[in-house]
Amino acid sequence: MTFRFAFLVLAAGLLGTAPALAAPLDRSALVARLCGSAAEMGEAAGTLITLAASGSAEDRAFAAPLARAAMEKKLTCDEAGALLTAGGGTLDAITSAPRAEQGASRAPVLSLKNRAVFELADAALALRSAASPAERASALRTLERKPGSLPDGLLDAAAAEETDAGLKGQIETLAQTAALNASDIAKRITAIGRVADNPSRRALAQVGALKQDPAYAGDPAFRAAVDAGISRIERGIAIGDTLAALYNGLSFASILFMAAIGLAIIFGLMGVINLAQGEFIMIGAYVTWLVQEGLRRAAPALVDWYLVLAIPAAFLVTAAIGVALEAALLRHLYRRPLMSLLATWAVSLFLVNLVRVGFGTQNLQFETPFYVTGGVPVIGDFIFTWNRMFAILFAVVTLALTTALIRFTPLGLNIRAVTQNRDMAACIGIPTRRVDMMAFGLGSGLAGLAGLALSPIYSVNPQMGQNFIIDSFMVVVLGGVGTIAGTVVAALGIGQINVLIEPLWGAVAAKVIVLLMIIAFLQWRPEGLFAVKGRRK
Amino acid sequence: MKPLSTDRPVLGLAALLVLLALAMPFADGTPLALSRYLVNAIGQLAAFAVLALSLDLIWGYLGILSLGHGLFFAIGGYVVAMYLLKHSFEVTGTVPDFLQFMGWKEFPFYWAGFEFFPYALLVAVAVTSLIAGVFGYVSFRSRVGGVYFAIITQALVYVAMLLMFRNDTGFGGNNGMTGFTVLFGWPMGSTGMLIGMASASLVVLALVLLGCRALVGSRFGALMIATRDDETRLRTLGYETLRLKLAVWCLSALIAMLAGMLYVPQVGIINPRLLSPELSLEIAVWVAIGGRGHLVGAVIGALLVNAIKFWLSSAAPEVWPFILSGLIVLVVLVFPNGLVDLAKLRLVRPMGPKRMAEEIGEARP
Repeated sequence: MTFRFAFLVLAAGLLGTAPALAAPLDRSALVARLCGSAAEMGEAAGTLITLAASGSAEDRAFAAPLARAAMEKKLTCDEAGALLTAGGGTLDAITSAPRAEQGASRAPVLSLKNRAVFELADAALALRSAASPAERASALRTLERKPGSLPDGLLDAAAAEETDAGLKGQIETLAQTAALNASDIAKRITAIGRVADNPSRRALAQVGALKQDPAYAGDPAFRAAVDAGISRIERGIAIGDTLAALYNGLSFASILFMAAIGLAIIFGLMGVINLAQGEFIMIGAYVTWLVQEGLRRAAPALVDWYLVLAIPAAFLVTAAIGVALEAALLRHLYRRPLMSLLATWAVSLFLVNLVRVGFGTQNLQFETPFYVTGGVPVIGDFIFTWNRMFAILFAVVTLALTTALIRFTPLGLNIRAVTQNRDMAACIGIPTRRVDMMAFGLGSGLAGLAGLALSPIYSVNPQMGQNFIIDSFMVVVLGGVGTIAGTVVAALGIGQINVLIEPLWGAVAAKVIVLLMIIAFLQWRPEGLFAVKGRRK
Repeated sequence: MKPLSTDRPVLGLAALLVLLALAMPFADGTPLALSRYLVNAIGQLAAFAVLALSLDLIWGYLGILSLGHGLFFAIGGYVVAMYLLKHSFEVTGTVPDFLQFMGWKEFPFYWAGFEFFPYALLVAVAVTSLIAGVFGYVSFRSRVGGVYFAIITQALVYVAMLLMFRNDTGFGGNNGMTGFTVLFGWPMGSTGMLIGMASASLVVLALVLLGCRALVGSRFGALMIATRDDETRLRTLGYETLRLKLAVWCLSALIAMLAGMLYVPQVGIINPRLLSPELSLEIAVWVAIGGRGHLVGAVIGALLVNAIKFWLSSAAPEVWPFILSGLIVLVVLVFPNGLVDLAKLRLVRPMGPKRMAEEIGEARP
């Protein structure tokens, strides 16, 4: 601790000499001081650090090898000045021309105190002039350990020159930290304001650390600025967390909605709950993966667009399986809804194991196309990620199309008629069996689309259907039979409640509470939120 | 329904089970000796058959399908496991593994008294009745039935599974509970204990079978069947079906709990997998395959399906799910009443108007 304090004082003292160096660099004086006493060497290192911040490009290029050589004991002082050992030969430190040793020579030894300053000088110079981003990044690591002792302008200049975007961001963050630890109080207060403009947990840690600073106890203006900054950041984080929870809830609700809308249509129409719906989701995701792999083989240029190109495939394949299931199995079970539960469970068991045998149990690897990569940081730790936005938009479009289909097409009219009164619909000539089959295909296809939409967010494996299926049943129970509006509201409600309770008491408690709420709700409205009006069956 | 005294299939099956139970102790050490594995397997099968009977009572005779009966099975199992652990702790003095994993030095307070079997039994009955009673009351009161009831019970057992998977509940978490050493003074896993448990399971199965048969053959049973076939009419006639359904539902839950108490000492482990929705669905499958609404069918279905499962899970575990799903499809499409159809030799018939009419009659929820 004492060492660090002494070091800070020393560094601050050195920085104080900076204006004197605005004049052109006296190279021979610098080299002479490098070969001098420990105090002189310390001054030389200070000069090097200042050079890194405000020297010309040539001076920096001249200084960079000197700092490194002093660190690595490749600097030799002789009677004619100093020599650098480089690639087997020796170069004059001032002119960089090859020359041999003259007279008695010695390698200057760095004291513990000086070594730290030289490390800093070396890193500061490397950050400005090293060729590869990796070297600059490692120099930045070194600087990050001593944010308080960096010269003004060094990081700003480095950030302005930096070409690597990631590294640039890191340098800017470090610049903020350095400004927070600057010697001038007014500068520190502005820095606090700037850090608080972008609230995040890291900003909180940065500003929070200032409470330990001696200035916090000593300077009321500084204390007020720190406290205001902390409360601003905390408020920002709280808003960000709430928004992030709502956003995650919305994307979860979107998936639930797409899984449940098919269930709700089928249940309203035929009184059948399809326990294989989760497996249709899984198959939709697997079809998406197959499309991606197919594109990779056939048209590598289009691989990025697999999420869009797979839409018809995912829908049609799952719809075809649904139609086949309806025609082969469920058709015979309409009067026995409980048996149809078992039959669809058998199908689900079959499909899970078929996929397990065919593809293995591991998670599928999906490419992340550019349009679902990354996101926009909004506030706090809330990032408006594109992959979740994709799922939400997908669900909104699905909702619009499904509503249009049910309201404005002949098939939709038939579905509504059969849902309201099957016998009467049959009497006026609606082919009820055909409507059943088409609706089952539609419901299954929508589940397939849910599988597509969740593939950039959740892991895809043969078991994945189980994670959604019970929640989707609850959506149908809560929303009421065969209404789109009910399904939307129930999916939003269950999705949001799950996600909001999760951070408080955990995922399990969220499920328990949601189930209890649904059971309690059914006491009040046994038919769900939006029951179709009519006689109770 | 004919009186119990003339119901040959039930009486015959019960007699067979009792005979098998009586023969068990003599099997040890004679040339006819059953292997320890077989004795254990028979005992487990008998526990499953009791479980199937509990579901058949409400599904077959009351028309209520529960896809969450594993919950009550697991309650019985967990309570008996707690008894066994506490009892073993008294004898050996070592704290069970799962508590050591959690870094706990002693049992949580709610484990107090479980070394005393009658108390454990009382707790099991109380917890089962409470959960079944409250859940049944709120569901039947708002007339939740049919498919709704089935999927809500499924959610119930799923949530219970998630709860028990947590390690901080003090019930073993995802590893479950094992390491039982003593059962009523017998070392666990000894031949005597295996035979004892298997015989006890067979006797309990026979008793439950006779008891259920007596119940469904009584006036009360006539009301159950009437509720299944036309609840509205029965209510119009002035019967309060809520109480009737609630009573049968609780009884069924208690029988399932009993099955769990028989099952766990024989497998020597309990973990939350017993609460998975798959197991609860499988119970319904046993009943459907054996013949819903036929007690003998439920017993035979449970024994048959589980015997195949035991055999295949060692011979070809990959194939089992495919065979199970094939069996289900076969039963729901071709033998709507399960194996009972086979017994009556009503093999495949085209779907004519007559069968349509039958199904409509039989299926009204």
